[in-house]
Amino acid sequence: MLTIALSKGRLAEQAIELLERAGYDCNAAKEKSRKLILEDEKTGLRFIMAKPADVPTYVEYGAADLGVVGKDTLLEEGRQLYEVIDLGFGKCRMCVAGPKELKDGKLDSIPNKRVGTKYPNITRAYFEGVKKESVEIIKLNGSVELAPLIGLSEVIVDIVESGRTLYENGLDVIETVADISARVVVNRVSMKMKADEIRPMIDKLKVQVDLMNQEKEG
Amino acid sequence: MSNKFYTPDGFNDTLPSVCAFKKDAESKLRRLFSLHGYEEIETPGYEYCDIYTKPDFVKEEDLYKLTDSKGRLLCARYDGTIPAARYAATLAKDRLPLRLSYIENMYRFNQTGGGKQSEFTQAGAELMGITGSDSDAEIIAMAIRSALEVGVEDLQVSIGQVGLFEGAVKQMGLDEETALSVRNAIIAKDSVTIDRTAKEKGLSDSDRNILLMFAESSGDTNILASIKDSFTEKMALDAIKNLEEILEALEDYGYTKYVSVDLGLLGSEGYYTGVIFKGYTYEVGFPIIGGGRYDRTVGVFGRDMECVGFSLGLSLAITALMRQGLELENPAAEAIVGYEKGNKDARSSAISLADQMRLGSTSVILDTSGMSEEDLNAFADENDIQTVFWINGGKD
Repeated sequence: MLTIALSKGRLAEQAIELLERAGYDCNAAKEKSRKLILEDEKTGLRFIMAKPADVPTYVEYGAADLGVVGKDTLLEEGRQLYEVIDLGFGKCRMCVAGPKELKDGKLDSIPNKRVGTKYPNITRAYFEGVKKESVEIIKLNGSVELAPLIGLSEVIVDIVESGRTLYENGLDVIETVADISARVVVNRVSMKMKADEIRPMIDKLKVQVDLMNQEKEG
Repeated sequence: MSNKFYTPDGFNDTLPSVCAFKKDAESKLRRLFSLHGYEEIETPGYEYCDIYTKPDFVKEEDLYKLTDSKGRLLCARYDGTIPAARYAATLAKDRLPLRLSYIENMYRFNQTGGGKQSEFTQAGAELMGITGSDSDAEIIAMAIRSALEVGVEDLQVSIGQVGLFEGAVKQMGLDEETALSVRNAIIAKDSVTIDRTAKEKGLSDSDRNILLMFAESSGDTNILASIKDSFTEKMALDAIKNLEEILEALEDYGYTKYVSVDLGLLGSEGYYTGVIFKGYTYEVGFPIIGGGRYDRTVGVFGRDMECVGFSLGLSLAITALMRQGLELENPAAEAIVGYEKGNKDARSSAISLADQMRLGSTSVILDTSGMSEEDLNAFADENDIQTVFWINGGKD
């Protein structure tokens, strides 16, 4: 029996679609219900529907053997996991964003800046590790774009997909921190102890991901 | 709010049934170590932080810290290896090789949850002052024996060799930054990043395939024969030879079925210098065994000495066994002796009877609470005590 942790929402749907293309029966996971654990003894697969930020935790502790989760969550959580496949969907960018006026290097001229974000660890790693400067991080839980608009912070660090919310509020991308997409992560012990089930699954998924990438390019 | 009812995060009481199993496992391990000539040492519960942080072995924030009376920074024992290395370099005057063992509690921040706790017991052995594949195999065999001794039967030990990656880096002429990013990607088995880095740096297809092989090597021990031709660098070839010899020696121990090869095991940067291994079992998400060769560590304390060692996470192994269905026995006494309240003759007979039975290794409770015969029988029933003796003073 393999336990797979999925990030509730769009990412879970895409992951299930991919698993089906790879030949895995996922009817259990598609059941419309409020159940949190969806199990099918026939197929030997058990799905757990978790909050995205919790997926790396379930997998690190071995409560789930593998999981599908965004790279943003992986970077923020910093767990010890095997990160075996880039699924190529759920693509976006982690960015420093703020008023347009701060583009073209003007960001660096503000000392001791305040940064609003849902991702304090990524923010700290970027400003301290890459840009070598200390910043004041203000942890927020949503609508992060508000912070620079009402003067809570100079800039924000957040996920940018189309950038529409930013532009409509007079903000823009200033710097890119990292490219984000969905990843398959595997528990380090499961990779050894359940290699007979996990290895073939990884190989089959990789084949499908390559095919999908080719379709997109073609 | 008062904290007097709680234990701190990451710290737990060990209840009698688990404690009995654990202490029994410790005695078995102690005997195993001693049967193989590994002398047990106890190192201080607190060390200067410097022994861990100055050589960069452990991050400062992972240590439990306090200060001594002069304001110097101390930390609770983080592992068994570094104190053993300090001991070997400064105090041990014996002829080499030195075989040391320990069974101690370790203290680490940032490890709460899962079966991992801030305080946990590790048992380990260090073989110091010699090098070579046979000594590497001896320690891996000791690690396997330790796990088996505790009762872990579903055991997989993955073996790697850091010299192979270092040799590959040298052979390909990778700069430090690229090597580090590839290294981290290999540890995470992240072939995407390896692939991308190889393309960015313009590496040849064969070099890229070698790097991907580190992340994807799948446990099969036959991989060694097939990769030999990819390497020209001596360091890498020596590493392959070392692994082959270790596997061959482990065959003599009869342990082939427990071992596989994982070339992606690299450990923290600059610590391991040769073989590296991890041991896994079902039902816990973390390795229960870790070890390898660390020839540079003792030198930090002023005496160059080659070393190979391992540690078994005893607390974690017991958690795994319990989740695998181990039934723990309640460590109840085998017998109870009661006597008529206030009767001095009866008390005297009860004491001698209990002592006599203890001489024969029977565990006996002497009831000093003055229970009646009826209460005594009820108490014995409730507590799984097999035999009850009632003494009513001279009348029987």
